[in-house]
Amino acid sequence: MALTGKQKKQSWNALQIVLILIAAFIMLVPIVWIAMAAFKTHVDVYQLKLFFAPTLENFKTVFQAPYHLEQKLFNSTIVAFVTVVLAIPIATCAAYSFSRFTLRGQTVLLVMILATQFVPAVVIVLPFFVMFRDIGLLDTRLGLILVNLSIVMPFAIWMIKGFIDGIPMDTEEAALVDGSTRMQVIRNIVLPMAAPGIVTAAIFCFIIGWNEFLFALILTSKDAVTLPIGLALFKAEEGDLWNLLAAAGIIIMVPMFVLALIIQKHFVQGMTMGAVR
Amino acid sequence: MRDRHLKYLLVLPAVIVVFATAIWPLVESLRLSFYEGRLSRPAFPQSFLGVENYTWAFLEEPAFWNSVWVTATYTFWTVLLTTLLALGLALLLAPGGRLRVTVQSLLIIPFAMSPALIGVSFRFMFNPEFGLFDAFFGIVFPPLATISWLSDPTLAFWVCIMADVWGWIPFLTLVLIGGLASIPRDTIEAAQVDGASGWRVLKDVTLPQLVPVLAVVLILKAIFSLKTFDQVYMLTNGGPGTATQTLSHYVYFNGLKYSQIGYSAAVAWLMVIPMIFLTYAYAKFVFQKK
Repeated sequence: MALTGKQKKQSWNALQIVLILIAAFIMLVPIVWIAMAAFKTHVDVYQLKLFFAPTLENFKTVFQAPYHLEQKLFNSTIVAFVTVVLAIPIATCAAYSFSRFTLRGQTVLLVMILATQFVPAVVIVLPFFVMFRDIGLLDTRLGLILVNLSIVMPFAIWMIKGFIDGIPMDTEEAALVDGSTRMQVIRNIVLPMAAPGIVTAAIFCFIIGWNEFLFALILTSKDAVTLPIGLALFKAEEGDLWNLLAAAGIIIMVPMFVLALIIQKHFVQGMTMGAVR
Repeated sequence: MRDRHLKYLLVLPAVIVVFATAIWPLVESLRLSFYEGRLSRPAFPQSFLGVENYTWAFLEEPAFWNSVWVTATYTFWTVLLTTLLALGLALLLAPGGRLRVTVQSLLIIPFAMSPALIGVSFRFMFNPEFGLFDAFFGIVFPPLATISWLSDPTLAFWVCIMADVWGWIPFLTLVLIGGLASIPRDTIEAAQVDGASGWRVLKDVTLPQLVPVLAVVLILKAIFSLKTFDQVYMLTNGGPGTATQTLSHYVYFNGLKYSQIGYSAAVAWLMVIPMIFLTYAYAKFVFQKK
Protein backbone atom coordinates (compact mmCIF):
# COMPACT_ATOMS: atom_id res chain seq x y z
CA MET A 1 0.00 0.00 0.00
CA ALA A 2 1.55 3.24 -1.14
CA LEU A 3 1.38 6.19 1.20
CA THR A 4 0.12 9.49 -0.11
CA GLY A 5 2.20 12.60 0.47
CA LYS A 6 -0.03 13.69 3.31
CA GLN A 7 0.12 10.30 5.04
CA LYS A 8 3.89 10.30 4.70
CA LYS A 9 4.08 13.69 6.33
CA GLN A 10 1.79 12.62 9.15
CA SER A 11 3.72 9.46 9.93
CA TRP A 12 6.98 11.40 9.80
CA ASN A 13 5.55 13.86 12.34
CA ALA A 14 4.41 11.03 14.58
CA LEU A 15 7.86 9.45 14.38
CA GLN A 16 9.41 12.79 15.39
CA ILE A 17 7.15 13.01 18.43
CA VAL A 18 8.10 9.48 19.45
CA LEU A 19 11.82 10.24 19.06
CA ILE A 20 11.47 13.42 21.11
CA LEU A 21 9.67 11.55 23.87
CA ILE A 22 12.34 8.84 23.90
CA ALA A 23 15.05 11.49 24.14
CA ALA A 24 13.25 13.22 27.02
CA PHE A 25 12.85 9.86 28.74
CA ILE A 26 16.56 9.03 28.41
CA MET A 27 17.44 12.50 29.69
CA LEU A 28 15.34 12.11 32.79
CA VAL A 29 15.83 8.45 33.73
CA PRO A 30 19.19 8.75 35.52
CA ILE A 31 17.93 11.74 37.49
CA VAL A 32 14.59 10.21 38.38
CA TRP A 33 16.21 6.92 39.31
CA ILE A 34 18.63 8.51 41.74
CA ALA A 35 15.87 10.78 43.08
CA MET A 36 13.75 7.71 43.79
CA ALA A 37 16.60 5.97 45.56
CA ALA A 38 16.87 8.95 47.90
CA PHE A 39 13.40 8.20 49.23
CA LYS A 40 13.86 4.46 49.51
CA THR A 41 14.81 2.48 52.56
CA HIS A 42 18.08 0.61 52.60
CA VAL A 43 16.26 -2.60 51.74
CA ASP A 44 14.19 -1.15 48.90
CA VAL A 45 17.26 0.27 47.14
CA TYR A 46 18.48 -3.23 46.52
CA GLN A 47 15.32 -4.12 44.68
CA LEU A 48 14.10 -2.69 41.43
CA LYS A 49 10.89 -1.28 42.80
CA LEU A 50 8.97 1.43 41.04
CA PHE A 51 6.44 1.58 43.85
CA PHE A 52 7.61 1.72 47.41
CA ALA A 53 6.79 3.43 50.69
CA PRO A 54 8.76 6.69 50.51
CA THR A 55 10.78 7.72 53.52
CA LEU A 56 12.62 10.88 54.54
CA GLU A 57 14.91 8.88 56.79
CA ASN A 58 17.90 9.17 54.40
CA PHE A 59 17.76 12.95 54.51
CA LYS A 60 17.91 12.78 58.30
CA THR A 61 20.72 10.24 58.38
CA VAL A 62 23.06 12.21 56.12
CA PHE A 63 22.95 15.16 58.51
CA GLN A 64 23.85 13.01 61.51
CA ALA A 65 27.10 11.51 62.76
CA PRO A 66 29.29 10.21 61.23
CA TYR A 67 28.33 11.94 57.95
CA HIS A 68 27.45 15.50 59.04
CA LEU A 69 26.62 16.62 55.54
CA GLU A 70 25.62 20.04 56.91
CA GLN A 71 29.32 20.88 57.27
CA LYS A 72 29.88 20.11 53.60
CA LEU A 73 26.75 22.01 52.68
CA PHE A 74 28.07 25.00 54.61
CA ASN A 75 31.50 24.75 52.98
CA SER A 76 30.04 24.46 49.48
CA THR A 77 27.76 27.43 50.04
CA ILE A 78 30.52 29.64 51.46
CA VAL A 79 33.06 28.66 48.81
CA ALA A 80 30.71 29.14 45.87
CA PHE A 81 29.22 32.34 47.31
CA VAL A 82 32.49 34.08 48.20
CA THR A 83 34.01 33.07 44.85
CA VAL A 84 31.10 34.78 43.11
CA VAL A 85 31.21 37.87 45.34
CA LEU A 86 34.91 38.32 44.56
CA ALA A 87 34.73 37.47 40.89
CA ILE A 88 31.68 39.35 39.68
CA PRO A 89 32.64 42.99 40.54
CA ILE A 90 36.18 42.47 39.22
CA ALA A 91 34.87 40.80 36.08
CA THR A 92 32.24 43.49 35.54
CA CYS A 93 34.82 46.30 35.60
CA ALA A 94 37.04 44.44 33.18
CA ALA A 95 34.12 43.48 30.93
CA TYR A 96 32.98 47.11 30.71
CA SER A 97 36.45 48.28 29.77
CA PHE A 98 36.90 45.54 27.17
CA SER A 99 33.50 46.28 25.73
CA ARG A 100 33.69 50.09 25.51
CA PHE A 101 37.34 50.97 25.03
CA THR A 102 40.18 49.91 22.79
CA LEU A 103 43.05 48.76 24.95
CA ARG A 104 46.57 48.07 23.90
CA GLY A 105 46.94 44.32 23.55
CA GLN A 106 43.19 43.83 23.98
CA THR A 107 42.84 40.86 21.64
CA VAL A 108 45.83 39.11 23.18
CA LEU A 109 44.44 39.67 26.68
CA LEU A 110 40.97 38.46 25.75
CA VAL A 111 42.28 35.34 24.04
CA MET A 112 44.53 34.66 27.01
CA ILE A 113 41.63 34.96 29.42
CA LEU A 114 39.58 32.68 27.19
CA ALA A 115 42.44 30.20 26.98
CA THR A 116 42.87 29.88 30.74
CA GLN A 117 39.38 28.38 30.76
CA PHE A 118 40.69 25.46 28.74
CA VAL A 119 43.76 24.66 30.80
CA PRO A 120 43.32 21.23 32.43
CA ALA A 121 42.50 21.61 36.12
CA VAL A 122 45.29 19.19 37.07
CA VAL A 123 47.83 21.65 35.67
CA ILE A 124 46.45 24.48 37.79
CA VAL A 125 46.14 22.48 40.96
CA LEU A 126 49.65 21.00 41.25
CA PRO A 127 51.52 24.26 42.05
CA PHE A 128 48.68 25.39 44.32
CA PHE A 129 48.87 22.12 46.20
CA VAL A 130 52.59 22.61 46.82
CA MET A 131 52.18 26.28 47.76
CA PHE A 132 49.18 25.71 50.03
CA ARG A 133 51.06 22.93 51.79
CA ASP A 134 53.89 25.34 52.56
CA ILE A 135 51.76 28.26 53.73
CA GLY A 136 49.07 26.26 55.50
CA LEU A 137 46.16 26.88 53.12
CA LEU A 138 45.52 23.20 52.44
CA ASP A 139 42.07 22.11 53.57
CA THR A 140 40.83 25.68 53.99
CA ARG A 141 37.85 27.35 52.38
CA LEU A 142 40.01 30.38 51.54
CA GLY A 143 42.42 28.24 49.54
CA LEU A 144 39.59 26.66 47.61
CA ILE A 145 38.02 30.05 46.88
CA LEU A 146 41.30 31.38 45.46
CA VAL A 147 41.76 28.41 43.15
CA ASN A 148 38.11 28.47 42.08
CA LEU A 149 38.66 32.01 40.83
CA SER A 150 40.82 30.52 38.09
CA ILE A 151 37.84 28.82 36.45
CA VAL A 152 35.19 31.38 37.32
CA MET A 153 36.92 34.60 36.24
CA PRO A 154 37.29 33.89 32.51
CA PHE A 155 33.65 32.80 32.29
CA ALA A 156 32.44 35.86 34.14
CA ILE A 157 34.50 38.33 32.10
CA TRP A 158 33.45 36.93 28.74
CA MET A 159 29.85 36.48 29.71
CA ILE A 160 29.38 39.97 31.16
CA LYS A 161 31.26 41.48 28.23
CA GLY A 162 28.78 39.80 25.93
CA PHE A 163 25.88 41.38 27.78
CA ILE A 164 27.45 44.85 27.88
CA ASP A 165 28.25 44.60 24.16
CA GLY A 166 24.52 44.25 23.64
CA ILE A 167 23.66 47.51 25.41
CA PRO A 168 23.51 50.50 23.04
CA MET A 169 25.99 53.26 23.82
CA ASP A 170 23.72 56.28 23.13
CA THR A 171 22.49 56.78 26.70
CA GLU A 172 26.02 56.60 28.05
CA GLU A 173 27.30 59.10 25.50
CA ALA A 174 24.44 61.51 26.22
CA ALA A 175 25.19 61.36 29.95
CA LEU A 176 28.88 61.98 29.32
CA VAL A 177 28.07 65.02 27.20
CA ASP A 178 25.85 66.27 30.02
CA GLY A 179 28.87 66.25 32.30
CA SER A 180 28.62 62.90 34.13
CA THR A 181 31.92 61.24 34.93
CA ARG A 182 32.70 57.82 33.56
CA MET A 183 32.25 56.22 36.97
CA GLN A 184 28.83 57.84 37.34
CA VAL A 185 27.87 56.52 33.93
CA ILE A 186 28.93 53.04 34.91
CA ARG A 187 27.07 53.17 38.21
CA ASN A 188 23.88 54.89 37.10
CA ILE A 189 23.41 53.69 33.55
CA VAL A 190 25.46 50.62 32.73
CA LEU A 191 25.00 48.65 35.94
CA PRO A 192 21.19 48.85 35.99
CA MET A 193 20.98 47.96 32.30
CA ALA A 194 23.45 45.11 32.57
CA ALA A 195 21.97 43.82 35.83
CA PRO A 196 20.12 40.83 34.33
CA GLY A 197 23.32 39.78 32.57
CA ILE A 198 25.41 40.23 35.68
CA VAL A 199 22.95 38.21 37.76
CA THR A 200 23.02 35.48 35.11
CA ALA A 201 26.81 35.41 35.20
CA ALA A 202 26.77 35.32 39.00
CA ILE A 203 24.35 32.37 39.10
CA PHE A 204 26.35 30.63 36.42
CA CYS A 205 29.58 31.04 38.38
CA PHE A 206 27.83 29.86 41.52
CA ILE A 207 26.85 26.63 39.76
CA ILE A 208 30.42 26.13 38.53
CA GLY A 209 31.84 26.70 42.00
CA TRP A 210 29.24 24.46 43.62
CA ASN A 211 29.85 21.56 41.21
CA GLU A 212 33.63 21.95 41.15
CA PHE A 213 35.25 18.62 41.96
CA LEU A 214 38.95 18.20 41.19
CA PHE A 215 40.27 21.18 43.17
CA ALA A 216 38.26 20.24 46.22
CA LEU A 217 39.31 16.61 45.91
CA ILE A 218 42.99 17.51 45.95
CA LEU A 219 43.06 20.57 48.19
CA THR A 220 40.67 19.53 50.96
CA SER A 221 40.69 16.57 53.27
CA LYS A 222 38.56 17.19 56.35
CA ASP A 223 37.55 20.71 57.38
CA ALA A 224 36.90 22.33 54.01
CA VAL A 225 35.40 19.34 52.19
CA THR A 226 32.59 20.36 49.81
CA LEU A 227 29.44 18.48 48.88
CA PRO A 228 30.64 16.67 45.72
CA ILE A 229 33.65 15.33 47.63
CA GLY A 230 31.36 14.50 50.53
CA LEU A 231 29.79 11.85 48.32
CA ALA A 232 32.81 9.69 49.05
CA LEU A 233 31.62 9.49 52.68
CA PHE A 234 29.01 7.00 51.68
CA LYS A 235 31.40 4.40 50.40
CA ALA A 236 31.36 1.90 53.21
CA GLU A 237 33.32 -1.30 53.60
CA GLU A 238 30.26 -3.36 52.80
CA GLY A 239 29.73 -1.38 49.57
CA ASP A 240 28.16 1.91 48.63
CA LEU A 241 25.30 3.17 50.76
CA TRP A 242 23.17 3.99 47.75
CA ASN A 243 20.17 5.43 49.53
CA LEU A 244 22.39 7.92 51.40
CA LEU A 245 24.44 8.67 48.28
CA ALA A 246 21.22 9.42 46.46
CA ALA A 247 19.94 11.68 49.24
CA ALA A 248 23.22 13.61 49.21
CA GLY A 249 22.94 13.74 45.42
CA ILE A 250 19.50 15.33 45.67
CA ILE A 251 20.86 17.93 48.09
CA ILE A 252 23.64 18.73 45.59
CA MET A 253 21.55 18.89 42.46
CA VAL A 254 18.16 20.34 43.34
CA PRO A 255 19.41 23.86 44.22
CA MET A 256 21.41 23.92 40.98
CA PHE A 257 18.38 22.83 38.94
CA VAL A 258 16.44 25.73 40.38
CA LEU A 259 19.25 28.19 39.61
CA ALA A 260 19.71 26.76 36.11
CA LEU A 261 16.03 27.17 35.32
CA ILE A 262 16.22 30.83 36.38
CA ILE A 263 19.00 31.61 33.93
CA GLN A 264 18.17 29.14 31.18
CA LYS A 265 17.47 31.83 28.60
CA HIS A 266 21.06 33.07 28.76
CA PHE A 267 22.69 29.76 29.51
CA VAL A 268 23.95 28.91 26.04
CA GLN A 269 25.35 32.34 25.36
CA GLY A 270 27.25 32.23 28.61
CA MET A 271 28.79 28.83 28.10
CA THR A 272 30.07 29.51 24.62
CA MET A 273 31.28 32.96 25.61
CA GLY A 274 29.36 34.55 22.81
CA ALA A 275 30.75 32.28 20.12
CA VAL A 276 27.23 31.21 19.25
CA ARG A 277 24.37 33.64 19.22
CA MET B 1 40.02 60.50 35.91
CA ARG B 2 40.61 60.42 32.18
CA ASP B 3 39.34 57.44 30.24
CA ARG B 4 42.72 56.54 28.85
CA HIS B 5 43.96 55.75 32.33
CA LEU B 6 40.69 54.49 33.70
CA LYS B 7 40.27 51.84 31.01
CA TYR B 8 43.49 50.14 32.11
CA LEU B 9 42.68 50.56 35.79
CA LEU B 10 39.34 48.78 35.25
CA VAL B 11 40.91 45.67 33.75
CA LEU B 12 43.85 45.61 36.15
CA PRO B 13 42.24 43.62 39.00
CA ALA B 14 40.90 41.03 36.58
CA VAL B 15 44.26 40.69 34.87
CA ILE B 16 45.96 40.27 38.24
CA VAL B 17 43.50 37.55 39.29
CA VAL B 18 43.84 35.69 35.98
CA PHE B 19 47.62 35.88 36.18
CA ALA B 20 47.77 34.76 39.80
CA THR B 21 45.25 31.94 39.55
CA ALA B 22 45.79 30.62 36.04
CA ILE B 23 48.93 31.90 34.32
CA TRP B 24 51.20 31.52 37.34
CA PRO B 25 50.27 27.87 38.00
CA LEU B 26 50.65 27.12 34.30
CA VAL B 27 54.20 28.49 34.27
CA GLU B 28 55.04 27.03 37.68
CA SER B 29 53.83 23.60 36.51
CA LEU B 30 56.16 23.88 33.55
CA ARG B 31 59.05 24.74 35.87
CA LEU B 32 58.25 21.86 38.23
CA SER B 33 58.11 19.48 35.28
CA PHE B 34 61.90 19.83 34.90
CA TYR B 35 62.57 18.85 38.50
CA GLU B 36 62.55 15.79 40.64
CA GLY B 37 59.66 16.73 42.89
CA ARG B 38 58.83 14.22 45.58
CA LEU B 39 56.58 15.68 48.23
CA SER B 40 57.74 13.17 50.80
CA ARG B 41 61.17 14.80 51.06
CA PRO B 42 61.69 18.01 53.04
CA ALA B 43 63.45 20.17 50.41
CA PHE B 44 61.14 20.80 47.48
CA PRO B 45 61.64 20.56 44.61
CA GLN B 46 64.75 18.43 44.49
CA SER B 47 67.36 18.07 41.75
CA PHE B 48 66.99 19.57 38.28
CA LEU B 49 66.30 16.81 35.78
CA GLY B 50 65.93 18.66 32.51
CA VAL B 51 63.58 16.77 30.22
CA GLU B 52 64.03 13.50 32.07
CA ASN B 53 60.44 13.51 33.38
CA TYR B 54 59.21 13.78 29.81
CA THR B 55 61.49 11.07 28.44
CA TRP B 56 60.51 8.89 31.37
CA ALA B 57 56.85 9.24 30.42
CA PHE B 58 57.59 8.51 26.77
CA LEU B 59 60.02 5.65 27.18
CA GLU B 60 59.53 3.96 30.52
CA GLU B 61 55.86 4.23 31.34
CA PRO B 62 53.38 2.00 29.52
CA ALA B 63 50.76 3.40 31.90
CA PHE B 64 51.29 6.85 30.39
CA TRP B 65 50.72 5.57 26.88
CA ASN B 66 47.73 3.64 28.11
CA SER B 67 46.12 6.82 29.42
CA VAL B 68 47.02 8.68 26.22
CA TRP B 69 45.21 5.98 24.28
CA VAL B 70 42.24 5.97 26.67
CA THR B 71 41.97 9.76 26.50
CA ALA B 72 42.30 9.83 22.71
CA THR B 73 39.67 7.16 22.06
CA TYR B 74 37.45 8.61 24.77
CA THR B 75 37.69 12.04 23.18
CA PHE B 76 37.07 10.68 19.69
CA TRP B 77 33.93 8.75 20.63
CA THR B 78 32.44 11.31 22.99
CA VAL B 79 32.94 14.15 20.50
CA LEU B 80 31.53 12.13 17.63
CA LEU B 81 28.55 10.68 19.46
CA THR B 82 27.63 13.79 21.40
CA THR B 83 27.79 16.01 18.34
CA LEU B 84 25.78 13.66 16.12
CA LEU B 85 23.11 12.96 18.71
CA ALA B 86 22.89 16.60 19.75
CA LEU B 87 22.55 17.61 16.09
CA GLY B 88 19.75 15.09 15.63
CA LEU B 89 17.96 16.27 18.74
CA ALA B 90 18.43 19.92 17.82
CA LEU B 91 16.89 19.31 14.38
CA LEU B 92 13.98 17.51 16.03
CA LEU B 93 13.39 20.26 18.58
CA ALA B 94 14.10 23.35 16.46
CA PRO B 95 10.65 23.71 14.85
CA GLY B 96 9.14 24.81 18.17
CA GLY B 97 5.64 24.14 19.47
CA ARG B 98 4.57 23.24 22.96
CA LEU B 99 6.05 19.75 23.32
CA ARG B 100 9.37 20.76 21.77
CA VAL B 101 9.75 23.87 23.90
CA THR B 102 8.96 21.90 27.05
CA VAL B 103 11.59 19.29 26.21
CA GLN B 104 14.01 22.10 25.41
CA SER B 105 13.59 23.60 28.85
CA LEU B 106 14.08 20.17 30.43
CA LEU B 107 17.47 19.98 28.71
CA ILE B 108 18.92 22.53 31.08
CA ILE B 109 18.49 20.14 33.99
CA PRO B 110 21.10 17.46 33.18
CA PHE B 111 23.59 20.17 32.39
CA ALA B 112 23.34 21.69 35.86
CA MET B 113 24.09 18.29 37.34
CA SER B 114 27.59 18.01 38.68
CA PRO B 115 29.74 15.62 36.60
CA ALA B 116 30.75 13.80 39.78
CA LEU B 117 27.10 13.10 40.45
CA ILE B 118 26.59 11.88 36.89
CA GLY B 119 29.34 9.38 37.63
CA VAL B 120 27.59 8.25 40.80
CA SER B 121 24.27 8.00 39.03
CA PHE B 122 25.64 5.82 36.25
CA ARG B 123 27.53 3.61 38.67
CA PHE B 124 24.23 3.10 40.43
CA MET B 125 22.40 2.21 37.23
CA PHE B 126 25.08 -0.24 36.14
CA ASN B 127 25.32 -2.05 39.42
CA PRO B 128 25.31 -5.75 38.58
CA GLU B 129 22.87 -6.74 41.35
CA PHE B 130 20.21 -4.06 41.37
CA GLY B 131 21.13 -1.63 38.60
CA LEU B 132 18.40 -0.29 36.35
CA PHE B 133 20.38 -0.90 33.20
CA ASP B 134 21.12 -4.46 34.07
CA ALA B 135 17.47 -5.13 34.66
CA PHE B 136 16.57 -3.41 31.41
CA PHE B 137 19.03 -5.39 29.32
CA GLY B 138 18.06 -8.52 31.19
CA ILE B 139 14.50 -8.12 29.95
CA VAL B 140 15.39 -7.08 26.39
CA PHE B 141 18.19 -9.59 25.92
CA PRO B 142 18.49 -12.10 28.79
CA PRO B 143 22.12 -13.21 28.21
CA LEU B 144 23.18 -9.65 29.05
CA ALA B 145 21.58 -9.77 32.47
CA THR B 146 24.51 -11.50 34.12
CA ILE B 147 27.16 -9.15 32.72
CA SER B 148 29.00 -7.08 35.26
CA TRP B 149 29.43 -3.94 33.17
CA LEU B 150 31.91 -2.07 35.27
CA SER B 151 34.28 -5.00 35.84
CA ASP B 152 34.82 -5.55 32.14
CA PRO B 153 37.49 -3.22 30.68
CA THR B 154 35.76 -2.61 27.36
CA LEU B 155 32.27 -2.28 28.77
CA ALA B 156 33.42 -0.01 31.58
CA PHE B 157 35.00 2.24 28.96
CA TRP B 158 31.71 2.41 27.09
CA VAL B 159 29.75 3.09 30.24
CA CYS B 160 32.06 6.08 30.83
CA ILE B 161 31.36 7.25 27.28
CA MET B 162 27.64 6.81 27.78
CA ALA B 163 27.72 8.89 30.96
CA ASP B 164 29.73 11.60 29.25
CA VAL B 165 27.50 11.71 26.19
CA TRP B 166 24.41 11.77 28.38
CA GLY B 167 25.78 14.71 30.35
CA TRP B 168 26.80 16.77 27.33
CA ILE B 169 24.00 16.23 24.81
CA PRO B 170 21.64 18.71 26.47
CA PHE B 171 24.05 21.61 26.39
CA LEU B 172 25.29 20.98 22.86
CA THR B 173 21.69 20.56 21.70
CA LEU B 174 20.82 23.97 23.14
CA VAL B 175 23.82 25.51 21.39
CA LEU B 176 22.86 23.92 18.08
CA ILE B 177 19.23 25.01 18.43
CA GLY B 178 20.61 28.52 18.87
CA GLY B 179 22.68 28.03 15.74
CA LEU B 180 19.71 26.71 13.76
CA ALA B 181 17.62 29.68 14.87
CA SER B 182 20.18 32.10 13.50
CA ILE B 183 20.01 30.64 9.99
CA PRO B 184 17.95 33.02 7.82
CA ARG B 185 14.51 31.49 7.20
CA ASP B 186 14.32 32.71 3.60
CA THR B 187 17.19 30.51 2.39
CA ILE B 188 15.35 27.43 3.64
CA GLU B 189 11.98 28.61 2.35
CA ALA B 190 13.46 29.38 -1.06
CA ALA B 191 14.77 25.84 -1.32
CA GLN B 192 11.41 24.43 -0.25
CA VAL B 193 9.57 26.53 -2.82
CA ASP B 194 11.93 25.16 -5.45
CA GLY B 195 10.64 21.73 -4.49
CA ALA B 196 13.69 20.40 -2.67
CA SER B 197 12.96 17.45 -0.39
CA GLY B 198 13.37 17.79 3.39
CA TRP B 199 16.60 15.82 3.23
CA ARG B 200 18.01 17.97 0.42
CA VAL B 201 17.15 21.16 2.30
CA LEU B 202 18.95 19.82 5.34
CA LYS B 203 22.01 18.63 3.45
CA ASP B 204 22.46 21.51 1.02
CA VAL B 205 21.04 24.52 2.85
CA THR B 206 20.80 24.03 6.61
CA LEU B 207 23.96 22.07 7.43
CA PRO B 208 26.40 24.17 5.40
CA GLN B 209 25.18 27.27 7.22
CA LEU B 210 25.51 25.49 10.54
CA VAL B 211 29.18 24.66 9.97
CA PRO B 212 30.64 27.53 12.06
CA VAL B 213 28.46 26.61 15.04
CA LEU B 214 29.23 22.91 14.59
CA ALA B 215 32.94 23.73 14.60
CA VAL B 216 32.62 25.63 17.87
CA VAL B 217 30.67 22.74 19.38
CA LEU B 218 33.25 20.18 18.23
CA ILE B 219 36.20 22.14 19.60
CA LEU B 220 34.52 22.92 22.90
CA LYS B 221 33.51 19.30 23.41
CA ALA B 222 37.00 18.08 22.45
CA ILE B 223 38.58 20.39 25.02
CA PHE B 224 36.31 19.18 27.81
CA SER B 225 36.65 15.54 26.77
CA LEU B 226 40.45 15.77 26.91
CA LYS B 227 40.21 17.12 30.45
CA THR B 228 37.72 14.51 31.69
CA PHE B 229 38.18 13.58 35.30
CA ASP B 230 35.15 13.95 37.57
CA GLN B 231 32.78 11.37 36.12
CA VAL B 232 35.48 8.82 35.49
CA TYR B 233 36.77 9.22 39.03
CA MET B 234 33.33 8.59 40.49
CA LEU B 235 32.21 5.98 37.98
CA THR B 236 35.17 3.63 37.62
CA ASN B 237 38.08 5.42 39.30
CA GLY B 238 40.12 4.57 36.21
CA GLY B 239 39.39 0.89 36.49
CA PRO B 240 39.08 -1.95 36.12
CA GLY B 241 42.88 -1.87 36.23
CA THR B 242 43.68 1.15 34.11
CA ALA B 243 41.08 0.52 31.42
CA THR B 244 39.40 3.91 31.90
CA GLN B 245 42.33 5.90 33.24
CA THR B 246 42.26 9.24 31.43
CA LEU B 247 45.29 11.53 31.42
CA SER B 248 43.81 13.76 34.12
CA HIS B 249 43.28 10.71 36.29
CA TYR B 250 46.81 9.50 35.61
CA VAL B 251 48.22 12.87 36.65
CA TYR B 252 46.07 12.87 39.76
CA PHE B 253 47.27 9.42 40.77
CA ASN B 254 50.94 10.04 40.22
CA GLY B 255 50.87 13.47 41.75
CA LEU B 256 48.76 12.87 44.79
CA LYS B 257 48.91 9.17 45.50
CA TYR B 258 52.59 8.71 44.77
CA SER B 259 53.46 12.39 45.36
CA GLN B 260 55.61 12.64 42.24
CA ILE B 261 54.83 16.28 41.58
CA GLY B 262 57.56 16.85 38.99
CA TYR B 263 56.58 13.86 36.87
CA SER B 264 52.87 14.72 37.15
CA ALA B 265 53.58 18.27 36.10
CA ALA B 266 55.37 16.97 33.01
CA VAL B 267 52.44 14.77 32.00
CA ALA B 268 50.00 17.57 32.81
CA TRP B 269 51.95 19.84 30.49
CA LEU B 270 51.78 17.26 27.74
CA MET B 271 48.01 17.69 28.07
CA VAL B 272 48.35 21.43 27.58
CA ILE B 273 49.83 21.04 24.10
CA PRO B 274 46.69 19.79 22.30
CA MET B 275 44.76 22.41 24.27
CA ILE B 276 46.86 25.17 22.72
CA PHE B 277 45.86 24.09 19.22
CA LEU B 278 42.22 23.67 20.12
CA THR B 279 42.11 27.02 21.90
CA TYR B 280 43.73 28.69 18.91
CA ALA B 281 41.09 27.21 16.63
CA TYR B 282 38.32 28.19 19.02
CA ALA B 283 39.58 31.76 19.39
CA LYS B 284 39.75 32.08 15.61
CA PHE B 285 36.09 31.21 15.34
CA VAL B 286 35.10 33.52 18.18
CA PHE B 287 36.92 36.53 16.79
CA GLN B 288 36.00 35.80 13.21
CA LYS B 289 32.36 36.27 14.15
CA LYS B 290 32.90 39.75 15.49
